[in-house]
Amino acid sequence: MALATGKPVLLQTERFELRSMRPIDASDRWVGWARDPEVMGPLNSPVVQMSRDELSKFLATSDNVNRYIVGIFDKVSRIQVGFFMVDVDNGHHLATFNVVIGEKEWWGKGVINEARAALLDHFFEQVGVEKACGQPLARNFPAVLNYKAQGWRHEGTQRAQRRSVSGGPRLDQYQFGLLRDDWREARRKAT
Amino acid sequence: MAEDSTRARALLAEAIGAEPALVPHDARIGVFERWDSLAHLRLILAVEQQIGRQLDPDEAIAVECLDDVARLLNGRAAG
Repeated sequence: MALATGKPVLLQTERFELRSMRPIDASDRWVGWARDPEVMGPLNSPVVQMSRDELSKFLATSDNVNRYIVGIFDKVSRIQVGFFMVDVDNGHHLATFNVVIGEKEWWGKGVINEARAALLDHFFEQVGVEKACGQPLARNFPAVLNYKAQGWRHEGTQRAQRRSVSGGPRLDQYQFGLLRDDWREARRKAT
Repeated sequence: MAEDSTRARALLAEAIGAEPALVPHDARIGVFERWDSLAHLRLILAVEQQIGRQLDPDEAIAVECLDDVARLLNGRAAG
């Protein structure tokens, strides 16, 4: 297993605690998300019968340098509602964001943009990232809305970029980007 | 176009589970907070049902405000 060599993330938002996940954080709750077609379908990820041991191995790919896997925890119940996976290209100071909200009762409640705002602050101001990227599938309309509402810029559309795991036609994918300076300006205007 | 604007407003109202009167005429993503991620999903699917086809990715990404929805309902590209 890879060793976590970088500084773990530990952030607070109004409703959530965000923290770097370790192999021992593998849980039955998380394993359940991987088995749920409603959770995995919009991501074009296959539904898998993952074991906790396999999940632990996935979490061990996080080194808090090139890959961060960050859990999102409800401050009130302490329950994990989802996670971000952020892959950092340290050569280009570029961070690619992916997110899963596994607890469906939290869908449509602004979890992603509240949590991602804190992560953007962290990666731009503490890690030295200069640009953030996101690549939602074109028909993942909730994800697209979140990027737009948060001020990310649509930079392009990749037609038939992904093979459908359900066997349908190939899937279009958007490229969204957010520059550090644009995020700082948006933050400045918001205060 | 006025009729399409009314239909667009009604679709967004249905998507957020509110009366059309509660939807501002200038509703826009990122400004009108009730236009959230699930509302956007419901809105786009409702538009597709109304026009009888799936939006192509260029059309879907261009939806930013009620006027864009009205243009799609009217058979013209958004944006």
